Amino acid sequence: MSNPLHEIKIADIDLADQRYKISLSEYDISFLALSIKETGLISPPIVRPLENKVIIVSGFNRIRAYLVNNETKIPVYKTKPDIDEYQCLLTAITQLSFKRPLTHAELILSIKRLNKFLNEKQIRDKSPAIFNMELNLRFIEDLLNIGALPDPAPALIHNGNLSFKSAKKISLFEKDTIDVFLNIFSKIKASNNKQLEIILHIMEISAREGIKPKDLYSKKIIKDILFNENKDPWLKTRDLRTCLFEQRFPALSKTRKTVQKKITGLKLNKKIKFMPPENFESRDFNISFTAKTHDEFTANIRNLVDALENDSLKEIF
Amino acid sequence: MKIDTLFIDKAIPLNPEIEYLISRVKLKPRLIENTKLVYDFINDSGDPVSKAKKTLYVTKNKGAVVRQCPGTSFYTCCDYTILHTGTFCTMDCSYCILQAYFHPPVLQYFAGMEMLDQGLEKQFRQNKIFRIGTGEYTDSLIWEKLSLVPEFLVKKFAHQTNCLLELKTKTVNIESLLSLDHNGKTVLAWSLNTPEIISSQEKATASLTARLEAAGRAESKGYKLAFHFDPLVIYPGCEIHYKKVIKQIFDHIHPENIVWISLGTFRFMPKLKQIIEKRFKDSSICYGEFILGLDNKMRYFKPLRISLYKQIISCIKEYAPKLLVYFCMEDEEVWEKCMGFFPKRKGELGHLLDKSAVRHCSLNSSLL
Repeated sequence: MSNPLHEIKIADIDLADQRYKISLSEYDISFLALSIKETGLISPPIVRPLENKVIIVSGFNRIRAYLVNNETKIPVYKTKPDIDEYQCLLTAITQLSFKRPLTHAELILSIKRLNKFLNEKQIRDKSPAIFNMELNLRFIEDLLNIGALPDPAPALIHNGNLSFKSAKKISLFEKDTIDVFLNIFSKIKASNNKQLEIILHIMEISAREGIKPKDLYSKKIIKDILFNENKDPWLKTRDLRTCLFEQRFPALSKTRKTVQKKITGLKLNKKIKFMPPENFESRDFNISFTAKTHDEFTANIRNLVDALENDSLKEIF
Repeated sequence: MKIDTLFIDKAIPLNPEIEYLISRVKLKPRLIENTKLVYDFINDSGDPVSKAKKTLYVTKNKGAVVRQCPGTSFYTCCDYTILHTGTFCTMDCSYCILQAYFHPPVLQYFAGMEMLDQGLEKQFRQNKIFRIGTGEYTDSLIWEKLSLVPEFLVKKFAHQTNCLLELKTKTVNIESLLSLDHNGKTVLAWSLNTPEIISSQEKATASLTARLEAAGRAESKGYKLAFHFDPLVIYPGCEIHYKKVIKQIFDHIHPENIVWISLGTFRFMPKLKQIIEKRFKDSSICYGEFILGLDNKMRYFKPLRISLYKQIISCIKEYAPKLLVYFCMEDEEVWEKCMGFFPKRKGELGHLLDKSAVRHCSLNSSLL
């Protein structure tokens, strides 16, 4: 598609119409604005005439940069007025994907929009030309499932609160359950593995107790953590994980706490590490200490000898 | 599940053994040269496990007929001997490890009773007690409806003195065995569970009452019996339910005719979980308090196992103080805390079981 180059008034661009916007990055535009001032516009945006205005197909940030530079006119490539939606969408996606790899959120958005014109297999076949990489059918299906998630899923995926794997997982759940997880991940900040652990524990606790995840989410103990405005999202994640683990593994959690209390009761110094067996399946407790000097070594041994008299030690075993 | 497809290895001769099987399955066999065809037939299905349960493949056992139970590291094994007569099962228990054990799972019947005969003759000539079972890779008695093997085995074991045959089942398929001259050398064993677990997790198996009634009938024909509480499943109220099952055992059976009762809580290879979640969507069996065991299998948190075992053992002992109860794959701590002793030496548990086998089945005691 070769479009003629025009200079148009920025006022003639309908900035509110973002139907072809694929890039979700809202970075600081000042550097781009500065660069355009210094070197000029290397690659003009593409616009589409629509009624008495034009809408942006590609180059949203460049136009924003022009505005920052207080320019009133901008050179653009203008598409033919009779161009169809599909061609504009293709242009929008390829302009970005051949500049840099799309993020998951951008891929989801692109595939979702393309799916109005192409089926999954057609998208797969055309993917190298559109996305600058081959996409397999299963991945495309995953993207479409995730793309069907309601708000605020796209924003959560974009800002990293909901990982691709977690989104894929929850996209298979029923609507109420999806809402539960979107609410949770709106309020916490967790790595991919921790997100998956939270999803797993909520689903398994619910299944075991014969309740819906929504009912578990409604419990006061969970709400108190998630809706605590005084805690930052990372701390809420820690508290939520602890709470869920205690519900998922009540006996193990209780034993861990009891043994830890007894170990603390031994009053061992910080250089001595006294570790119970993992999950208490083996009987092997592990004890170790570090010492830089003979005196430190002696102090550790004395500390351990003192612990022999402590009833807590016998209770541990 | 009803078998709807029958494959037979072309190399298998159509002798009376196979003709009998075909007449029982009532399907036109598809003679094949390449096993891959069966694998593909099963794997191409959306649910290969279910497909495999309805697809019978008659073939030759290309491995050893008699082999030692593989056991597992860190947990005490009973030194069982496996007689390899077939694989997989037509029943559909959610927790069944065979779903994940075979790749793909195939319901195989190993043709050639003469191979069994030869393998067993070797065992019978040894100066050692063997406890031999066919229920490790399949249910021993699903085959009673299809083949002559169970009957053959009972007769084969009847007139020797160093081997006990244990046929383990969740069926009530004992009809053809009742009138046989078993000479006390065959133990009919039932895997038992609570009615709640049987109805929710053991699809297409016989009910608890039916199993115990079958056991009663077997006892009346002089068969010695065994029971296996494996897997014990922990759920709210399970202790009471298991105690009721124990009471029912002794309502039906005289304790002196029970050779042993084994106990083992549910444990599974991690990959089984996905299969259960996919195939048994209503099952919450894998959402108990499982931790990764030392053998890399998921096991209930040990204090929970110990608590349930203690209650079950104490209940069994109330009815039958002298009855041999043992653990399948448990460790020293569990043995000590629940039984008050641990068969530490290699082969010690096996020896305990051998002694019970000798006593109940009149095996040669000088071989102990």
